[in-house]
Amino acid sequence: MNTLLALWQLSLLLCTVALMAMAAILLARVIAERRGSRRENERKRVSALLLRPQADAPQPPRGRIERDAAAKVALEMAELVRGPDRDALIVNAEALGIPQVLLRKSVSRVPQERLLAAEALAMFPAGHVRVTEMLDDRNPDVRLGAALALAQNQAAPPAAQIVRQLGLGTRERSLLVASLMRDLVDADPASVEALLEDPDLPDAAKLAAVDALAAGGRVEHAPLVARMAETSEEDGNLLPRVYHALGRIGHPSGHGAILRGLTHPAWAVRAAAAQAAGSAGLADAAMQLGELLGDVYWWVRFRSGEALWKLGAPGREVLAAHASEGSPEAREAAARTLEERGSASV
Amino acid sequence: MSFEPAAWAKDWMLDAAQWIALVVIVTGLAQTAFYIVQLAYAATALSTRPPVPRGATLWRRYSDQAPPIAVIAPAFNEELTVVESVRSLLALHYPNFEVLLVNDGSRDGTLERVIDEFGLKNVGRFVDTSVEHKSIRGFYASPDLPRLLVIDKENGGKADALNAGINAARSSLFCAIDADSILEPDALLRVVRPFIDHPDRTIAVGGTIRIANGCTIDAGRVTAVRLPRNFLALVQIMEYLRAFLMARLALGRMQALTVISGAFGLFSRQRVVEVGGYSHATVGEDMELVIKLHRHMRDQRLPYRIDFIAEPVCWTECPEDLGVLGRQRARWQRGALECFVKHKDMCFNPRYGRIGFVGFGQIVLVDVIGPLVEVLGYFLVPLLYWLKLLALPWLLAFLAVTFTFGIFISALTLILEEVQLRRFPRSRELAVLAVIAVVENLGYRQLSNFWRLRGWWQFVRREQGWGAMTRKGFGGRPG
Repeated sequence: MNTLLALWQLSLLLCTVALMAMAAILLARVIAERRGSRRENERKRVSALLLRPQADAPQPPRGRIERDAAAKVALEMAELVRGPDRDALIVNAEALGIPQVLLRKSVSRVPQERLLAAEALAMFPAGHVRVTEMLDDRNPDVRLGAALALAQNQAAPPAAQIVRQLGLGTRERSLLVASLMRDLVDADPASVEALLEDPDLPDAAKLAAVDALAAGGRVEHAPLVARMAETSEEDGNLLPRVYHALGRIGHPSGHGAILRGLTHPAWAVRAAAAQAAGSAGLADAAMQLGELLGDVYWWVRFRSGEALWKLGAPGREVLAAHASEGSPEAREAAARTLEERGSASV
Repeated sequence: MSFEPAAWAKDWMLDAAQWIALVVIVTGLAQTAFYIVQLAYAATALSTRPPVPRGATLWRRYSDQAPPIAVIAPAFNEELTVVESVRSLLALHYPNFEVLLVNDGSRDGTLERVIDEFGLKNVGRFVDTSVEHKSIRGFYASPDLPRLLVIDKENGGKADALNAGINAARSSLFCAIDADSILEPDALLRVVRPFIDHPDRTIAVGGTIRIANGCTIDAGRVTAVRLPRNFLALVQIMEYLRAFLMARLALGRMQALTVISGAFGLFSRQRVVEVGGYSHATVGEDMELVIKLHRHMRDQRLPYRIDFIAEPVCWTECPEDLGVLGRQRARWQRGALECFVKHKDMCFNPRYGRIGFVGFGQIVLVDVIGPLVEVLGYFLVPLLYWLKLLALPWLLAFLAVTFTFGIFISALTLILEEVQLRRFPRSRELAVLAVIAVVENLGYRQLSNFWRLRGWWQFVRREQGWGAMTRKGFGGRPG
């Protein structure tokens, strides 16, 4: 009888919890819908205030709902405007007390809130100190978001500090590290250059730094990338990225490494080296690229064909030659590349 | 009226009844425990998920670094909707993507409609031959639309068409979708996140599928989320919420995800090529691909991640009549069983770690024995009662626990949706879904299990084929 009673009690409990939960979310939703109009009104008010020059100090948002709405609309609008309009918007937002709202949000328990706060606060000079503190946030996404926001607003601490705090190349392996480095180069190229002197800097971070410097016109560090191509361990993911960087930089100091990459045992590296040869306009690689048209791996054949086409007349001659002779794979790769590129250029 | 068995038979029947009841109860308890664990994991996954930036922020952040994606959309007899679908795909917000529409030997005017509408011309294309598919008849593109390539091939089924797309793709990632589904504009920006955050490990990511029946669709976009009026569609909304917001999110968190829906998934092209692409001889090709990826990476002893992200949303149309829905569910069941049997050596095999225990444990509990035991229970409980082997209070108590637990799970899933995602704009819609969460237990749930049992039967008889899937088409047009 006890078990039977327990079964009924369990049913009752499950039913009660389910019904109470449903009632609670419905009630919460009804309340939220009623607050929606307050939120919308505040968005309209703040939008107008943010765009116009202000003669008198505007009324800051009053309640929590209004503060949330104001912070969100300020961030959205800041992403839409540039130059003097953005500067004016930030002045107006400061007058509305938006940075204070964001400072409160920056200590929220919810990481999403903290990330939004970090991104918005970085626009305000008064918020830079707090966003810099957030480089030590417990959430890695908030840390990276704070670093990106600071770098984009040219308010980032020295690159070495960011590398250390975020663990770039070790704990943090996001592709966004490359974007971060580019923004850091825009603001303070010397601090990024200083990174390259650090022997303990992981190769991934070093590569991002050199790539960013090269994108900013500082190609004098290209030999370092070429050395990385020679000395990197058999890292299946890093080495192709090194060759892509060599192709993007296009500096003559990398040509030797690219040529050697064409005979690398790993197909992904051969494909990346072939692509780099095309991007760098490395005409000396034409014969080797022709041989790679018969590679076992399609990606290598494809990248070699593309690279040969990019090399112009010398490359197209090699393609034409292989289209009529050589292994079936090489003939097909050459003929298809000529057909595809030919039809695309008509 | 009841039946009084002979004395000699009574003991035997009692023993048998006790054993069967034990199997049903143990399976039920295991399923219950697994669902509760899944709910806990799903709640943790949602509350600790990476912060969700807005679309504009994602665009700004990813514009330089987002890896190129090939969106592969197989199309078979989609003449009425294909142009709108392609327009919708071309309007996706992503820095670097290509749409590969694969015409899988359509017998209607699908290919001609696309060629005429977009002014395409026959072009050459150097494609890979790593994965198998039926022969390609031609490629069509236009210099005015560099993001669009149409592949015309002989009919070979969805898996075959996807394989053709994989061979033609030139990006490190491909996104497999259904041509008649609708992706939210920023779905690619959101689903690519694990590939950006963990570029060395991520090999596949699934996204949430939601039901578009009842929603307002304009120019290939869901412009207003509304509930459908059709009861079956409403029930399927609850089912999809449970499947995606609870099960897949939880299994993704446990790194034991065994399915990424064929309607929307992002994959590392190289890893998929290594496992031979999609398999032809199964109707569960999407599930089988994920299991093959797990097996491959575990066999190679390579670190990897297969993730599920709740935010990126793909909208799809669900069946609104019993016949079509029943065929779909039977097919899903058959697909799951085919995958299970093909990879049964992974089940509870320590070599495959959590995928062998958690992933396959879920398949065994939910897909393999779940429908059998539940249907067995529906037959046996009244039978035992009729045989006077089960007292009415116990019968009612078991039924009450079964139903209230179903309602409990649905209610908590609705809470997850409301607290974390809040996709239903009006409170009235939440109220309707709350009612559906109760009503679906009385009739629909049992029917669904009979459909799954039919899938079991089809699997045992080795029936092949997808069966007819009639769609109205978005906007209410006949398809």
